[in-house]
Amino acid sequence: MKDLKHLNYFENLLQDSGNELVDKARAAGSICIGTTCYQIPEVLLNLTGCFAVRMRAPRTGSMEMGTYYMTSLNCEFARALLERCLEGGYGFLDCIIEPFACSQMTSTMENIEKLHLCDKDKPDFFVQHVDTPIKADENAVRHLTRMCRARILEKLHETFGTDVSDAALRDAVMRYNEICDVINEIGSYRKLDDPTITGYEFAVLCLATYCAPWELVIEKLRETARELKTRKPDAKKQFRIKAVLAGSEIDDPDFVKLIEDAGVRVVADRHCFGSFPGRMPIELNDADDVLEQICRHYVMQCQCPRYMDNDRIAERKAYLDRLAHEYDADGIILQQMNFCNFWPYERAGASQILSQEYGWPVLSIDRPYAAGSSGQIRTRIQAFVESVEIKRLQGGKS
Amino acid sequence: MGKRMNSEALGKFYNGGRTKVRREWRGLADTWFDYKCWVKTWGMLFKFLFNLQNLKGFLRYRWMLNYIATPDFLDRCNEGLRGKQLRLSHMEFGFIVKELMRSLTFMFKADQNIGGSKALSDKMVIMDENMMEEIMFGFPNLYFMCPQVAGVFALCAVSQNSQIRYIDKAEEFGITGDVCAMPKSELGLCIEDDTLDIGKCMLHCNTTCDTSLMGNGIEDWRYRKPSFAIAASEHIEDELVLEYAVDEIKAAIRFVEEQTGEKWDWDAYFRNMRVLNEQTRIFLEILEINKTPYPQVPENVINLYRDIYYTRMLNADGESYLEIDRKIREIMYEGYKNKELVCTEIRHRALIWGVQGEFYTAFPNWLLNCWGIVGITHMLSLTSTKIYADTDTPENREQAMYDLADLYVNMIMRNRSEGGFRLGVDDVWRFCEEFKMDMIVMCEQIACKALTGWHGIYEEEAAKRGIHVVWVPHALLDPRKASRQNMRDQVNRYMRTVLGEKPLDPSLEYIEDDNAW
Repeated sequence: MKDLKHLNYFENLLQDSGNELVDKARAAGSICIGTTCYQIPEVLLNLTGCFAVRMRAPRTGSMEMGTYYMTSLNCEFARALLERCLEGGYGFLDCIIEPFACSQMTSTMENIEKLHLCDKDKPDFFVQHVDTPIKADENAVRHLTRMCRARILEKLHETFGTDVSDAALRDAVMRYNEICDVINEIGSYRKLDDPTITGYEFAVLCLATYCAPWELVIEKLRETARELKTRKPDAKKQFRIKAVLAGSEIDDPDFVKLIEDAGVRVVADRHCFGSFPGRMPIELNDADDVLEQICRHYVMQCQCPRYMDNDRIAERKAYLDRLAHEYDADGIILQQMNFCNFWPYERAGASQILSQEYGWPVLSIDRPYAAGSSGQIRTRIQAFVESVEIKRLQGGKS
Repeated sequence: MGKRMNSEALGKFYNGGRTKVRREWRGLADTWFDYKCWVKTWGMLFKFLFNLQNLKGFLRYRWMLNYIATPDFLDRCNEGLRGKQLRLSHMEFGFIVKELMRSLTFMFKADQNIGGSKALSDKMVIMDENMMEEIMFGFPNLYFMCPQVAGVFALCAVSQNSQIRYIDKAEEFGITGDVCAMPKSELGLCIEDDTLDIGKCMLHCNTTCDTSLMGNGIEDWRYRKPSFAIAASEHIEDELVLEYAVDEIKAAIRFVEEQTGEKWDWDAYFRNMRVLNEQTRIFLEILEINKTPYPQVPENVINLYRDIYYTRMLNADGESYLEIDRKIREIMYEGYKNKELVCTEIRHRALIWGVQGEFYTAFPNWLLNCWGIVGITHMLSLTSTKIYADTDTPENREQAMYDLADLYVNMIMRNRSEGGFRLGVDDVWRFCEEFKMDMIVMCEQIACKALTGWHGIYEEEAAKRGIHVVWVPHALLDPRKASRQNMRDQVNRYMRTVLGEKPLDPSLEYIEDDNAW
């Protein structure tokens, strides 16, 4: 396929923790808020005068300092972030707002706070922990609303004078929905029999919306969406099977590239930096409290395995099944990072249920944080592709 | 060989086999007392087996055979002790064994796998291991039971290799090797269909940590009983989380009422809460005495007992705990008055932080016998030290929901290891100062991601304060990843190389107990 005009630009934006757009927005007086997880409502960090940057540690090599503080027994993502902060890679943050959800990431944030890694010459810098719910019900909505009001909105208003009125919230939701619309339009080309966008390209574009101010990327994304309307697929299909990629956080598009190089076309992305559910638009009505509506969206859409009510546990599997059908996938790849507390159980359970009860071919893998060049994972994906093809030859899709 | 502690080399009793070479000679009075307790334990086990339903359970469940090691477990936990310490230890561990047998007998009566009573089973509500079971205080006609305690938690303390099969089964299912062995073991038990079929419904909770909340979903998928998950936030430092837990407690009570047809009973709730408060007051007295130069109830004797009574995990009647507590208090004051030492020489007063290896519950006892390190207090013992509303008034009925919520968010382990920096790190230095402790034995559960996240900060802050930190890695229920000797080696190395000390009992430095129960 013909190269996308702005792909290289977006790839370059993602080469480091920060980027030129972050610098540009800060130079214009915007507050840069670091965060790590879907469970902090992103729209609340993108009120006028603020923007969110999802923290990641691209091109991570050694994690020795992070390992000294957190031991080799903790998640590599958590350690890599700490390492990046120890190296000074997140000096551009004005504050961090993180969910008190995963104990490992919380430890990273506590280390950043106690070791004063990001607050040099920034008297207003703070690390705010926000407790997030663990079930998808009305109790959870009330809890998240309470927490967001007290620990995010009031804190931003007190510290930076941010406008946290209902009008400001509605404006942030409107801008968020614009980003979602363009990403979903781009993503819809993955539903084609021969998709005119690769999983890698989509991962780059989607990730850019988490790591840069929305208003500075939206025009190039719109242009890319227009470009895709006329983009033609290659004469010969460049993949052997199509799959949904699900699991814990993937902030490295090279991992998606690795999967696609092994013969898979990633057609849907259900992970923490993906578009499901991270780029689902928020619908607001005029009757209910705006903040509560926003929180309800995040609670009810959340696909994190820490949501422990049985209905939600079952719904997560049904969600993957729906995605796989909608995007005409041949199988599902469930992946998790090593040392994760949540995903080993979710992955093991989901891989059994999706194959036994829903009949999907499932590849279940665990991986290191930087897995973009893992030969072991490439081999497993190749074997998965072959197994799906063999099943297909034997007369059934699965 | 004699009535003084350290009068004989205890290491010589180990010869690499399942059991020790012979029983310890402790002088006439203590040996006779210890022997009587030993015979009594065997008596309890035989009595347990002379019940048809228990015999059926014994033959149905693979793990039951491990309980044959119970007398050995008691011997391990009482090793080297003399006088009042021996009596205290027997009293507490003996009570645990007695209650465990009672609880098992009761559950077998209702177990559908072995033809138990359906009517009794319908009066039972299943709860997660480690869950604070005070919610049962308001349902006097129901039995809140936790079969996992008998099959996992208590069993691993009795026999160190008892969980290996179940851990392996969970890993075969697809759970990775790097997560905590406890929920993994519980899941393995469920996969193997080796757990009791009792209960009308189930109550879950995100009990101790992130991993513990994850096993429940798969277990529910297997059992398909009605269940309710109580969400209790871990961010205890934030006062706003209590409201969420209150909503959840109220919803859980409604769920139990709907499932069982029982109604919440305020009289019973406050009556039980008064007993818990009385126990807490006694424990606070114990802590006060432990702050003095003559601590009387060190961690090697109280730790496991305390875990069991404040979580109410054996569904025991509170009054029977209270009776034991009062006796403990009496012995404690007597020892304190006489300025008795708990070991030959208290060389170090230690805070035991982190979660102890469940397969080596006798580890604090070894610290005391081998190196004169006395566990003054323990992270887990410091759970539930508050006094809650215990009189029935309209205000207290609302307060009761907050009290239960407080117990849940401050649940065992997570209240320190997951609750945030102030509770997990800052409080360590406060406790060291209050209890005049010069050493921290940091039990590093290698699959626990909470305390390890503060590793570097612990090191740096301890160095600033001149406190010794001895890291003792273990894998909670899995002795293959770090054996008992691996744990001891960490202490031996620190004591010899960093502190340049010699052991009180050198024969205990290396002992062959890899194959022991």
